Amino acid sequence: MNRKLVMPGLWIGTILVVAVAAPVLGLPDPVKQDIARRLAGPMLGSPLGRDEFGRDVLSRLIWGARTSLAVAFASAFIAAAVGTALGMIGAWKRGWVEWMTVRSMDVVLCFPPILLALLVVTLLGPGAGTLILVLSILYIPGFVRVAYGEVLSMRANDYVEAVRALGAPTSRILLRTVLPNIAGPLLVQVSLCVAAAIVLESGLSFLGLGVVPPSPSWGLMIRGARTTMAQAPWLLLWPCGALTLTILGMNLFCDRLRDVVDPRTTSVRSRPRLIDRLVPGLLPGHDPARDAVLAVDGLTVGIATPRGVVKPVEGVGFHVREGETLAIVGESGSGKSLTATAILGLLPPVAQAIEGTARFAGRDLLSLDEEARRRLRGGELAMVFQDPMSSLNPVYRVGDQLVEAIRAHGSVSPEQARARALELFRKVGIADPDRRLDAFPHEMSGGMRQRVMIAMAIANNPRVLIADEPTTALDVTVQAQILTLLKDLQTDNGMALVFITHSLSVVAEIADRVCVMYAGQVVEDGPVGAVFHQPRHPYTRALLAATPEGDELPTGIGGVVPLPQEFPTGCRFAERCGFAIDTCRAAPVALREVDEGRRARCIRSDEMARLPEAVA
Amino acid sequence: MSAAHSSPMAAPALVEARDLAKTFGGTGFFTTSLPVQAVKGATLSLGRGQSLGLVGESGSGKSTLGRLLLGLIPATGGTLTFDGQPLPPEGSAAWRALRRRMQIVFQDPNGTLDPRRTVGSQIADGPALHGLGRSAGTSDRVADLLALVGLEARMAQRFPHEFSGGQRQRIGIARALSTDPDFLVADEPVSALDVSVQAQVLRLFHGLREKLDLALLFISHDLPVVRHLCDRVMVMYLGRVMEEGPTRALFEVPAHPYTRALLSATPRLDPAHRVTRIILPGDPPSPVKPPSGCVFHTRCAHATEVCRTEIPALRPLAGRTVACHHAEALA
Amino acid sequence: MNGKAAKWLARRIGGSLLLAFLVVTIVFFTLHLVPGDPAVLLLSTGGAAPSQEQVMRLRDKLGLDRPLIEQYWTFLSGIVQGDLGKSLQDDYPVASEIALRLPRTLELIFAAVIIGLAVGFPSGVKAAFGHGGWFDRIASGTAALLMAIPVFVVGTLLVLAFAVQLRWMPAGGFTPFSQDPVKHLTLLTLPALAIAKGLAATVFRMTKASVLDVMTRDHVRTARAKGLTPRRITMRHVVRNALSPVVTVVGLQIGTLLGGTVLVEYVFNWPGLSSPLIKAVEGRDYPMVAGIVLTISGLFLLINLIMDLLYAVLDPRVRP
Repeated sequence: MNRKLVMPGLWIGTILVVAVAAPVLGLPDPVKQDIARRLAGPMLGSPLGRDEFGRDVLSRLIWGARTSLAVAFASAFIAAAVGTALGMIGAWKRGWVEWMTVRSMDVVLCFPPILLALLVVTLLGPGAGTLILVLSILYIPGFVRVAYGEVLSMRANDYVEAVRALGAPTSRILLRTVLPNIAGPLLVQVSLCVAAAIVLESGLSFLGLGVVPPSPSWGLMIRGARTTMAQAPWLLLWPCGALTLTILGMNLFCDRLRDVVDPRTTSVRSRPRLIDRLVPGLLPGHDPARDAVLAVDGLTVGIATPRGVVKPVEGVGFHVREGETLAIVGESGSGKSLTATAILGLLPPVAQAIEGTARFAGRDLLSLDEEARRRLRGGELAMVFQDPMSSLNPVYRVGDQLVEAIRAHGSVSPEQARARALELFRKVGIADPDRRLDAFPHEMSGGMRQRVMIAMAIANNPRVLIADEPTTALDVTVQAQILTLLKDLQTDNGMALVFITHSLSVVAEIADRVCVMYAGQVVEDGPVGAVFHQPRHPYTRALLAATPEGDELPTGIGGVVPLPQEFPTGCRFAERCGFAIDTCRAAPVALREVDEGRRARCIRSDEMARLPEAVA
Repeated sequence: MSAAHSSPMAAPALVEARDLAKTFGGTGFFTTSLPVQAVKGATLSLGRGQSLGLVGESGSGKSTLGRLLLGLIPATGGTLTFDGQPLPPEGSAAWRALRRRMQIVFQDPNGTLDPRRTVGSQIADGPALHGLGRSAGTSDRVADLLALVGLEARMAQRFPHEFSGGQRQRIGIARALSTDPDFLVADEPVSALDVSVQAQVLRLFHGLREKLDLALLFISHDLPVVRHLCDRVMVMYLGRVMEEGPTRALFEVPAHPYTRALLSATPRLDPAHRVTRIILPGDPPSPVKPPSGCVFHTRCAHATEVCRTEIPALRPLAGRTVACHHAEALA
Repeated sequence: MNGKAAKWLARRIGGSLLLAFLVVTIVFFTLHLVPGDPAVLLLSTGGAAPSQEQVMRLRDKLGLDRPLIEQYWTFLSGIVQGDLGKSLQDDYPVASEIALRLPRTLELIFAAVIIGLAVGFPSGVKAAFGHGGWFDRIASGTAALLMAIPVFVVGTLLVLAFAVQLRWMPAGGFTPFSQDPVKHLTLLTLPALAIAKGLAATVFRMTKASVLDVMTRDHVRTARAKGLTPRRITMRHVVRNALSPVVTVVGLQIGTLLGGTVLVEYVFNWPGLSSPLIKAVEGRDYPMVAGIVLTISGLFLLINLIMDLLYAVLDPRVRP
């Protein structure tokens, strides 16, 4: 049981227990009239006083809860059983069965709920039985929809397909694999229905068309108290309060249950804690490349968690010159994407650059204010992202999004901007550019969308273009197109390109220099040819051996990348390294120069130089 | 390739498909979607101890073909036999009994396991359903299977979220092997993994293939991945088979212009391996409206009039099969 | 409009008409599929069984003796011609009663929707941008409370507070706009507020959730990477994209809103469709109930169709 559910759970539980225990609480008869004590205030034996017929208010309140909750729970459970069965069968069988069980339910949803209820009440007359029947019918479509939708999305799951491939009969798949996995959303739906049923029952009773007097019900009590509200307003407040508190508890329970069941819709998000940024450049660091257009040094990204600050990127430094391509390569969890987004100031709100500098055109990007950084972004400093579908706004035409990028950096008339957009579309190789400008992102292919993203990035002739896995989501033939395009653009503009990727083969194809990252640190950098030929860090060597190429079967690396909160003090790769010795684990290893323009973070890097060549 | 599989053609075919086709959607009474021809005219045969690499880009129909061969989705055309017999109708008792002999490994390490059950109980599902391993004891069998894929027996009690992606993929393999299948389809089993883990799983497949005498269909979008693992490779484009042949020959002298383009577009680590890159223009067309004639003609540098009008047949050429009008001329 | 869009629009409208036809059919057959003689059923209000003569008279009045298919056809063709039959209580034509009262109900709904959106949407956006701040907390708490109080309770409490205790305005009633515009609008305020409360709370919650969700999307990061101003990012790339889910929710909420209107009209004695409806349900006046249910359901379908079209305007991905 989740802690979040305890409070609303207790709340609802208390109401339920009191309602169930009504007969044994020794309450006065809720229907016994005593006209002499009409509208009497609080008195002995009647702490809440008497109503317009002299009946005990507290007793009626508790017995009323019993009626309301019985009707609500009974109808919710009937609807759940029938609706879930129909929805599951419909989703599994498809075809005409689907039509009969799922689509036909839409008809019930065409009636506003209370009106369908009134229609049935006209025929069958009011009463608790009618209410349960009507409410069940009303809530069945909800369960059908939830079950249907959940089963459909479940069906796409490989583990359901796996059970089917193992030869399990349909009934077993539905009951053992599907039902437990959709139980959460169904439970949420049950609690939603109970809350809605309480509202509807009280509403109908209030109109005098629900529970039949003299049976106690909150709706009926409000109806009765309304007539005497000028003399006895408190009579109105008791049932109103009881009703509101019950529904509030029920709603709260639903919300919490939904959060627990489906973490995606969690409404409580962790808020960033303010971390004071340290003064950058305290130590006069060495200057590896005076002519670099972008030089990052000692970049550390921190995420505040309840257990302290974790650093998924720590002390990262690299530089890139004009017209040069630097590849940052690493597996998932290496921190390569966070590094790039930190430089542009695009980190998600939970993360912050807490140390280091990023010198660009004589200024430190990390200490600039947001407005100054904004002027640079999309202007001199541009970025292309991995997934071109989600990175474009689906509701605007791509041309408008490109024009927006152009006009964000300079006063250009709309006509001029459109002409420039057309020119850019030609430049990135989009056929039929005039028509394509008016397309929406979903009308384009993945490769085409990535061309649009690139057009947007180069719109203002950036000096540095950071491309974060720009070809990972694309097919290999389209990847070849995009790599060629980026190379051509670089030749034309002379811009510096920072290319982030997980593929060493792509690095070999596109980059001049490479920077290998592991567990938030740079472990090796240098010219691509030299690094791949004779890596000076065991991780680089192992990565090369794991890349399938040639006739050799690739060799993997045992173990997993440590999580940021579990980074060891010594070398972070030691646990998975075939060359590790005790000294490796003792203390942090520094990134040091091992050759002209090459650095490695390994105490045995000199020995690495004597190993056979990595790439023949 | 290893010596144990030097003469794969001698083995009798276990899976035989001729002109297999699958069209999704279409205008039924209750559906109104446009028909999508996912697979058309797929012909192949695969025997025990053989491994076939099925390669293609997104939309090529490679995953659909894999599921067709397993009988998980019904074909809309062509013939398919398993061990000489046509597949029984989907869902029937005979169909379910046949599941024991054919299994599948999935791509996504996050979706492959039921998050609510221990991995041990999921691996035990197959033997339980088919009445296997009762004498030997289920837990022993689960332990053996875990050992087979390089995991420890005590891990059977854990839930999927306690494992890394590579480990979950291994568990998925163990589940597929739990029924001692003869035919295994691996649907992009390494695509979602980091390269260091990917190599480990490839090695595992390589070892299993030698140990278990399986007929293996290995689906991938990445040509280098299948190179070390498969005796033969089949290249698909837009639902059609373009070329099929022995791995080494296909990699060294691709006969179909598409295979050639695919190979040349694959990035290489070693500059010495690099070939002149053929950049295909445009994107793959939509499978809803495939081009006339040869489906590749819209992007092919060698396309002529005949390519636009006539569908090239899959025909034998120098020890392989190719579907190209100009294969001889381009050789 | 091009041909494809026209075809799409025709399909949507056709779909709504089909649903309307199904609604009519269900209303008709509900009377006939209930076990037992519908005439006996409608007459058995108290414990006593109705007399043979009463039953015969009602059967004749409702035309229950004719073949079912003929009755169905009469019902359908009547609706197409705007004839919804006659009230069992006073023989007054149902359609005339509805024509008199529908505009008043529509006015109430219209006012409530305006209030609900005008309050819910901006406060949702504000709460999302100041997520976790004081405004967010107060507004979220208020919304949760408003969602928990049933609409008739809100109505009754408003009457208690403003009419009975404070005596600022009358407890309810109606004055035609032409007679006294100020009084008309004064009387409109409380019931419109009561109906609007649920919509305002739902729209607030949905807007806030939707804006928070859109803020984390990749395309917003792209907008920032382009160097757009924060204001432009907010208006064009966050709020604009957050609209679509809100429209969906408003569509789903309309059913509840129409139901709430019935209760609120009763609470405030607003002479809309609700008073004849409740009287008819009490008196088992099936033609009147059916007529009003059909009218409100038709309204519901119409509003949902409009929401569908609006959704397509907002999100190009669902357009033809």
